[in-house]
Amino acid sequence: MTDLNNLGEAELDVLKELGNIGTGHAATALSKLINKDIYLSVPNVKIGEIKNLSREFIGDVVAGVIIALQDLEENKSGYMYIMFPEKSARKIASDLFDMDELDEEMYASTIMEVGNILSSAFCDASADFMNIVLLPSPPSFAVDVPTAVIDSVVSQMAKNSNHIILFETSLSSDSDIEIYLALLPESCLLDDMIKIMGQL
Amino acid sequence: MSNCVLFVSGESGKAIFLTSGDVLVKACCSLSNTCSSRGSCRSCDLINSVKSKLMGVKSGSNIKQLDGELSAGIGEYKIGKNTLLEVMGLGSCIGVILSDVSTGICGIAHVLLPGASNKGETKYAETAIEKMFEDMIKMGARKSRITAKFAGGAQVFKHMNLDILKIGDRNAISVEETLIRKNIPILAKDIGGDVGRNVIFNPVDGSMIVKYTTKGEVLWL
Repeated sequence: MTDLNNLGEAELDVLKELGNIGTGHAATALSKLINKDIYLSVPNVKIGEIKNLSREFIGDVVAGVIIALQDLEENKSGYMYIMFPEKSARKIASDLFDMDELDEEMYASTIMEVGNILSSAFCDASADFMNIVLLPSPPSFAVDVPTAVIDSVVSQMAKNSNHIILFETSLSSDSDIEIYLALLPESCLLDDMIKIMGQL
Repeated sequence: MSNCVLFVSGESGKAIFLTSGDVLVKACCSLSNTCSSRGSCRSCDLINSVKSKLMGVKSGSNIKQLDGELSAGIGEYKIGKNTLLEVMGLGSCIGVILSDVSTGICGIAHVLLPGASNKGETKYAETAIEKMFEDMIKMGARKSRITAKFAGGAQVFKHMNLDILKIGDRNAISVEETLIRKNIPILAKDIGGDVGRNVIFNPVDGSMIVKYTTKGEVLWL
């Protein structure tokens, strides 16, 4: 198992690049979907202690989509966590339908689907790069503060480790849309990532 | 007074105010569900008495100053004496409060997982409660006077396709069983539901304040 504390600067850079590839594809997918230019931030890789996790996320209420990732042998690879600040989520949904008011069921299912598209784009691209397979689960959806949404996932990961590696990046557009993406890899996916680094 | 935490109890209700210099930064009030100003808090007898206290004038209400605040991160616990305790952003996690009002020693744990840990990790319910209990006694709390309150264990997902996300109930059961096994009286609890919570504990009157993250509703238990 890879020790998260012993990652060096160069290894973090490769992880960042991996995040960059994923985010790039997610941004393209989003841009096609809503037909707007999308800007992406330089991804950040953070290795943090679980107890400090709440400081890593924004404090506002978000519409959160969580997708579990598996490999072909059904090993857990990790989780993709996509956060839409409420205002952005409403904007995306109403833009897509060209309607100001959407019923809640429709809204939830739209954001889930957008989350699904973004995470699939992210995972496909990074899995391609690493030459591995990442199969996304159907999305789960919640509206709450980011830590309240993610803590049940964190509790799963916390069984094995007190540290968590977080790829964080954001997408934005002219029309005030902001989306935060985070990838929380389990140790087997992280091992794959480190292996790729060895080959570079 | 620079940053301080004040607890005010008056005839109409009670509230906790966080102040910086002589400005009120944050308020948490037992009246907020019925209050006409809806959180914008312009003026009421509680606010007025805090303001006069900040300006050094005595007022009719009962004001107590707390020694700062402590926040427990995920899987941690914090113990304080006469300190405001808090855990923020609880989804499936549980905030467990143990307190001995007679000595003012109290603790809050941010429990992440049900069951016990064989490595002494405090992210597990049983381990966190046991360690916190022992630490409080070391600090001088009286075993027979310690009581418990807890909140959390929500199921925030509206659409859920992953069974592993259903951990809130298991956390709540584990916490409750541990408290019963250790003969710690449970004075209040607020568990389940589909909304995240922030939990604050005021050691002065022993009340647990539960703030719902998306509804803006506040409970004093």
